[in-house]
Amino acid sequence: MRSVLAIGGVAVVRLVRDRGNLFFVFVFPLLLVLLIGMSFGGSQQRRLAVVTGDAGPATDSLVRSVEQAGSVVVDRLGDAAAAREAVARGTVDGALLVPAGYGDDLAAGTAQVELIGRADQQAGLRPVVEQATAAQATVHRAAAALGRVLPGSVDARALERLHAGVPETAVSTRAVGGQAGLAAEFAGLGQFDLGASSQLLLFVFVTSLSASSALVEDRELGMTARVLTTPTTPRQLIAGLGIGRYAVALAQGLYIIAATRLIFGVDWGDPVGAGLILAVFSGVSAGAAMLLGSHADNDAQASGLGVGLALGLAALGGSMAPLEVFPDTMRTIARATPHAWGNEAFAELVRRDGSVADIAPQLGVLAAMAVGLYALAAVRLRRRVSGTGG
Amino acid sequence: MDRSLVAGLRAALLITAKDLRQRVRDRSAWLFAVVVPFGLAVIFSLVLPGFEAGDVAVRVGVVGTSPTAERFAASLEDLDVVTGVERVADEQAATSALSASELDVAVLVPADLADGPGGTLEVLARPGETVASEVGRSLAAGLAHRVDAAVLAAIAARAAGASGGRVADAARLAAAAPSPVQVVGASTAPRQLDATTYLAAGMAVFFLFFTVQLGVTSLLEERQRGTWTRLRAAPVPPWSVVAGKVLTSIVLGLISMAVLIVGTSALLGASWGDPVAVAVLTAAGVLAACSLVAVVGKLARTAEQAGAWQSIVAIVLGMLGGAFFPLDRGTGLVAALTDLSPHAWYLRGLGDLAAGAGVRAVTTETAVLVAFAGGGVLLAAVLPARWARS
Repeated sequence: MRSVLAIGGVAVVRLVRDRGNLFFVFVFPLLLVLLIGMSFGGSQQRRLAVVTGDAGPATDSLVRSVEQAGSVVVDRLGDAAAAREAVARGTVDGALLVPAGYGDDLAAGTAQVELIGRADQQAGLRPVVEQATAAQATVHRAAAALGRVLPGSVDARALERLHAGVPETAVSTRAVGGQAGLAAEFAGLGQFDLGASSQLLLFVFVTSLSASSALVEDRELGMTARVLTTPTTPRQLIAGLGIGRYAVALAQGLYIIAATRLIFGVDWGDPVGAGLILAVFSGVSAGAAMLLGSHADNDAQASGLGVGLALGLAALGGSMAPLEVFPDTMRTIARATPHAWGNEAFAELVRRDGSVADIAPQLGVLAAMAVGLYALAAVRLRRRVSGTGG
Repeated sequence: MDRSLVAGLRAALLITAKDLRQRVRDRSAWLFAVVVPFGLAVIFSLVLPGFEAGDVAVRVGVVGTSPTAERFAASLEDLDVVTGVERVADEQAATSALSASELDVAVLVPADLADGPGGTLEVLARPGETVASEVGRSLAAGLAHRVDAAVLAAIAARAAGASGGRVADAARLAAAAPSPVQVVGASTAPRQLDATTYLAAGMAVFFLFFTVQLGVTSLLEERQRGTWTRLRAAPVPPWSVVAGKVLTSIVLGLISMAVLIVGTSALLGASWGDPVAVAVLTAAGVLAACSLVAVVGKLARTAEQAGAWQSIVAIVLGMLGGAFFPLDRGTGLVAALTDLSPHAWYLRGLGDLAAGAGVRAVTTETAVLVAFAGGGVLLAAVLPARWARS
């Protein structure tokens, strides 16, 4: 037993001691969670470039209304050309051009503003801009009507004062109708939650598989043969290697969970559930790493193939784009990957406050995958280590 | 031509040829150069169901039987942004229609809305559906401001001593008066890649920085293995060996990009743009990648360290440059950092070609990439080697 643990322990020591791993194992995962959270998590702010011809009160109040009307960030730009380029490149979602003399034109009823959008998408900012311009129309409309019904009685300034004293019709919004659609599926998630759980699975698997090259390296260097000259049986050696892979995967996972919790405040759901998901998923990763290590012919091939496979499986399993956006066929195919089951389990825990009982099916599938992979790897390794075949 | 120059060039080409033959046979080189980026691009194109920003079009329900409500509903029929208008009996009916996704947004118009100031319009939408909610708000705000105008006109008319009939006229005219502001829509041709091409290009340029490591790191490996001294003993100028290795990187980079460009165009429908422009831009990109890798290689102590650092630089610059997913660019620090990434310039250049432009459109980006390459070469030549003499 001691030799098994010793062999296993070496794997973790190697993981931590290798300075090249410093970035890939410790920094990179957090960087990715940060970027994903910043780009996709939280409410999507739209950007509107605004170019104004002058700085009159009417223009200012229009721009202010736009900012308040919807979650819009206003970028003041200097000229129309820059604004058009920004829209074309997608730096902003639209551009509003307010010409000089807007205030006077507004009073005369002939004001015009230009809203520029991209040809390949409808200007989703139109409602926001129209809402803002509508707010400025009130006094003018009243004045126009009075001018026709009671000509000569209209005093613009008095009308303004009157308008200021009259309460406006309010518009309030209320959410009803229960959960529906993609937006609701992700509502209530913290900004970094989705990125954290999907990247946890991606990195545990990638780290495990890229470390599988160490298995091959050991063989190449003859270390495996040397270990077998000690009173260690092949079975113990393989068990030790398995524990080593498992410990590496677990270490990577625990680090990510702890670090994201501390730094980003990520919610992992029920701790026992999260721990179990990590435990079985690490088992799958370890089994896969063992299987890869047992088949590969040289360590460069192992690590290259390993990382490539790990990335591909992560993409298929919903660790890059979320499963919820997959078309139905792809969603079914995703079930062949451990990541899909892991992501579903975390969705249950985090989004729907699930408990261990709720994720039992996913845990079961993952456990079965782990056992299967390990068994296949053990058979192959046994043959290689004993010198028959490979 | 100088004889040693000719000899040097011949030697360089021989070394390149030998290295290329070696690399082509090595399967792991092809993994990262072609298989993984192509595979990921394929997977992404399968799982992301055309994430084009959708058309804004909502089905609106109007709750209320007053003349105001009826006029409101009628006014919505012709709007582009509204695909259908339903008269809904009451709030309950609206809520169930929303839950059943028969409506996207509902507006509650109280019967006494136009009777006096300070009424409230309620907009109902499903939770998380910001677009529908916003359109609903904008439509309701349009009504709200018309009501305000009518109320204001009525108050002013009464204050001027008008009779009941005239007051009503003033109110009606105010509500129906046209807006003094017209929002004119305009569109620009996008200078941004469509989703498929963006994925393909992002993956290609990201893995390019890994592909070009091969030539440069082989230089360091030769030093470690001791074959370097043997090469230097040959009657060729020392620069020719370095040149040969660098040329290997360049050729590998060009080949892998060519394969990816053609492959993704043919099999995934990616549209990279005008072939000449793409070729020029890509060549500049390959040069920039090689020079960056050379700088890191010059600073490394061992081949492993070089590989690790080159990968780190490739990943960080790739992420900053939006190779994985477009970063929320904005202004300020993020934008400045993005400009440091050659990936960003490459993708920006491709974006310029999206509207069908020719090679002239990418002059700026090509120049910047060539400047990266030049700067890199200068640094690599000038920086002291930190090679650990083993």
